Amino acid sequence: MEFENNTPREETTAAGGLLKYIDIVSEMKKAGIDYSMSVITSRALPDVRDGLKPVHRRILYTMYENSLSPDKAYRKCADTVGSVLGRYHPHGDASVYDAMVRLAQDFSMRYPLVDGHGNFGSIDGDPPAAYRYTESRMGKLTLEMLTDIDKETVDFMPNYDDRLKEPTVLPSKFPNILVNGSTGIAVGMATNIPPHNMGEVLDGIFCVMDNPDATLEDLMEHVKGPDFPTGGTIMGRAGIRAAYGTGRGKITLRSKCEIVEKKNGRFQIKVTEIPYQIRKMKLIEDIADLVKEKRIEGISDINDYSDRNGMNICIDLKREANPQLVLNQLYSYSQLQITYGIILLALVNGEPKILTLRQIIDHYIDHQCDVIIRRTQFYLKKAEERVHILRALLKAIENIDEIIEIIKASESIPVAKENLMERFGFDDIQATHIVQMRLGQLTGLERDKLENEMKDLLAKIDEYHEILGSHEKVLSVIRGELEEIRRKYDDERRTEIVNVSGEVDDESLIPEEECVYTLTALGYIKRQPLENYRQQRRGGKGVKGMTQREEDATDIMFSASSHARLMFFTTKGKAYKLKGYEIPEGSRQSKGMNIVNILPIESGEKVSAIITVPDEVRDEYVCMVTRNGVIKRIRLDSFAHIRKTGIIALSLDEDDSLAWVHLTGGNDNILVGTVNGMSITFNERDARSVGRTARGVRAISLKNGDKVAGFCVLTDDTKVFTVSETGYGRLSENGDYRIQSRAGSGLKNYRTDVYGKVAAVLSVHEDEDIILISSDGIIIRIPASQISVVHRPAKGVRVMRLAEGERVTNITAVPADEEEETELPPDDGTGNETDVTEEEEIIEDGPVDDGPDGDVPEEDEPEDDAPEEDETEE
Amino acid sequence: MFIVEGDSAGGSAKGGRNPAIQAILPLWGKMLNVEKARLDKVIGNDKLMPVVMALGAGVGEDFDVTKLRYHKIVIMADADVDGAHIRMLLLTFFFRYMRPMIEEGYVYLAAPPLYRLTKGKKHFYAYSDEQRDELMEELGSCDIQRYKGLGEMDPVQLWETTMDPAARIMYRVTLEDAQQADEIVTILMGDKVEPRREFIEKNAKFVQNLDI
Repeated sequence: MEFENNTPREETTAAGGLLKYIDIVSEMKKAGIDYSMSVITSRALPDVRDGLKPVHRRILYTMYENSLSPDKAYRKCADTVGSVLGRYHPHGDASVYDAMVRLAQDFSMRYPLVDGHGNFGSIDGDPPAAYRYTESRMGKLTLEMLTDIDKETVDFMPNYDDRLKEPTVLPSKFPNILVNGSTGIAVGMATNIPPHNMGEVLDGIFCVMDNPDATLEDLMEHVKGPDFPTGGTIMGRAGIRAAYGTGRGKITLRSKCEIVEKKNGRFQIKVTEIPYQIRKMKLIEDIADLVKEKRIEGISDINDYSDRNGMNICIDLKREANPQLVLNQLYSYSQLQITYGIILLALVNGEPKILTLRQIIDHYIDHQCDVIIRRTQFYLKKAEERVHILRALLKAIENIDEIIEIIKASESIPVAKENLMERFGFDDIQATHIVQMRLGQLTGLERDKLENEMKDLLAKIDEYHEILGSHEKVLSVIRGELEEIRRKYDDERRTEIVNVSGEVDDESLIPEEECVYTLTALGYIKRQPLENYRQQRRGGKGVKGMTQREEDATDIMFSASSHARLMFFTTKGKAYKLKGYEIPEGSRQSKGMNIVNILPIESGEKVSAIITVPDEVRDEYVCMVTRNGVIKRIRLDSFAHIRKTGIIALSLDEDDSLAWVHLTGGNDNILVGTVNGMSITFNERDARSVGRTARGVRAISLKNGDKVAGFCVLTDDTKVFTVSETGYGRLSENGDYRIQSRAGSGLKNYRTDVYGKVAAVLSVHEDEDIILISSDGIIIRIPASQISVVHRPAKGVRVMRLAEGERVTNITAVPADEEEETELPPDDGTGNETDVTEEEEIIEDGPVDDGPDGDVPEEDEPEDDAPEEDETEE
Repeated sequence: MFIVEGDSAGGSAKGGRNPAIQAILPLWGKMLNVEKARLDKVIGNDKLMPVVMALGAGVGEDFDVTKLRYHKIVIMADADVDGAHIRMLLLTFFFRYMRPMIEEGYVYLAAPPLYRLTKGKKHFYAYSDEQRDELMEELGSCDIQRYKGLGEMDPVQLWETTMDPAARIMYRVTLEDAQQADEIVTILMGDKVEPRREFIEKNAKFVQNLDI
């Protein structure tokens, strides 16, 4: 389809008017192209150089003209809107006010350009107050958009009625197009540039300036991804890379949600950040509708507790609901998770172009070069003009007597000028300044001043020439100014970018490092790089390993690579897998994240074991033992495919639970100990390897309601640690435990009738530490080397002093901490009530005294309430 | 009957008309794009229904061209790009829902002047850039006002320049090739973005009026 150029048929009507004919096709085409091109080039799309659409530019320029700087009082928005309309923007007032409001909203703009006072709307979607109520002025950053605009740095064009001039672009001393982004729907095309972090974008610009050959990867070292004012979490990097590399990409943006367990045992999803440009009220209503329509089940209540301190939407779950499952449904059905389509479209020389990140940065740098060059030319011109005048003045002072004579002899000022010009060769400007000279300027001091000014100016002129003669110089000026911007306005990134497993080349971006993983008894998990972990230990604060909820303690602790494949086994016999990096990294102080946020486990289900899958799976076996003495042995490679929702690893009897899981080599000896002091040791091959859906076999015959207290794998360099509920513990050599047949009653491991029931059985290395946790939440840590090695069924030594009714409930072995004893903080002596974290490595002897004595367990200290027995053989 | 942009010239058109032969229907704001809307949305639309009522001939399949109350339906939109958009929207509506009206040649476009040149106390109007240049040569120095919208004219001026049958310029909309018209309406107003972008890219050089 082309435009026809034939002139339309026309005729004069009877009444005298002119009637022309126009085909609907050509009228539609003409109107269509006029409208489309106008919307594209001068309404809906931002200029790549300053990131502004015309209406924004006009608002900012008008505020600048009206001197609404940050140090002045706020001005009614009605006044600004009126000025914009009257001077530059011949359109609706609503379009101007809406644009202005958006510039002021801290949830729309990463770095707001209008400093608003009053009601500018809310993230709930509430409208702003009418413009007769609200007030505004420029923010500090806004000035940076306009700096140097008075120095001929940008082109101006006539306004709509040829009365005034308006800028075609602003100097934009910071990369507004990237830091604030832009959204606009034109005709046939749209733009959606997300906001970014100031520091990151500036670093990206520096990167390109330093290295013009920088690749996208180099650039993304600095510009990590969009940074929305509303925070949230971006899932994965592939979409970001696509957008930066091609101009188009889709990213998944998630709300910041946390699953928390309430006091009544039910779960609650707390939403503290929602995706960019999502209206909170609408989101909550939509979720309520989903619940009503039964598309999502398991939600009992939604409340919005947001206030001026921040967002807080609480979604209460029903008792039977699986929180992870509900959250996933919310992500897929509601706007709690959105897909944000990035389109890096902007006007380049008035034409719409899809750009890569690099191209945007290049255009921005070019624009800044332009601004700096034009500003320098402006300064140069001014300086040269002044030098021209100074030359005349200095010459006049030198010849002052003659000058005065000439002026005195002239009948009028024009004649005087004429004569001066003739005698000294001045031009008109110079002569004018001379006849306007004050007599005071003839003093010696004034003369020196003029000479100094001349000297300074000449130096500056040299400098200006230098800048104008060297691209490098221009870049270094830009860099200096941008560094200043960075210093003043850089802030913390708000949007988190997380790794998503399965993204092909994602893993390569994650540094592979050895990490310490910890899971607490209450289910809080975190990951810390081993390096940090060690450094922190040396750092002086000493002993804090983890900040836990009150009465919480480390339950599982191990170290593995951040790329390690981890398998989680739960009390209900299910298995899940995760990559190490999927576990959130936490600082030493952070309590970690509740495991329900990471695994779709149900209420009442707990992680009982985590194993690290070796890089190459050979002939390893997974050995699982339940509380009721069932053992199941299965090849590790049977777990090659585990769904996100987990799989059944072991079918359990109703009252049974999976409690211990170890990886074995195929020919290991294993030991199962019971609460009532029995133990059985057999070769793992005695328990036939079965398929994944099979049930287990009996490991030990339990009598009189006995339960299993522990299961461990015996290796050459380990010993068996047995601890009683009453706080006594003993190490025994592996050889002490005769190999028997599976499913028997076993041997006497501990004299529970006199020493108390067995709390746990564990294999420990000599250089490991043992962490013990009591029913009162007291935690102590003892090096294994301090526990005496004796034959079963001896009592052993006191490893933990317990209060009335207190029991040892849980133990775990962790790598020894060499430095712990040198840098203990003083204990404040409040016993249980002290911050639990402070106690982790303190040998807690009930309420302790200050001083280092508390660190060392006292062996077999006689006690009134416990019968004192010698070590005896069975 | 003149259909005018209410925001701009509703009042002055009423004041400037010859009530014996001319009726005014003000439209407020931009109407629905019927190409992207379903029929039930079109019927009952508060911007379009007044047009249907005023014409009195029904809409869509029920449209009966013989029942039309007016035989000159003049779209009088501003001479700016938003006016162009309104012309597009209305023509699309007429083409899709009242096509016989176009086939019969009852639809017209008003042509308001683009410039007013003032020399002393005399006014001259220019309806195109070329005419303006001619007038400028003729008159020498003069004040030029560029009309952004019909609202800038008072009733008398509107009558003199745009509505007076003896002086006005009007375009009669013809339908030469219904299939081609159908195509262009689909491209420009339809819900597919890609063909529209292609059209714009191909024809960008033909742009005549750009917004400021």
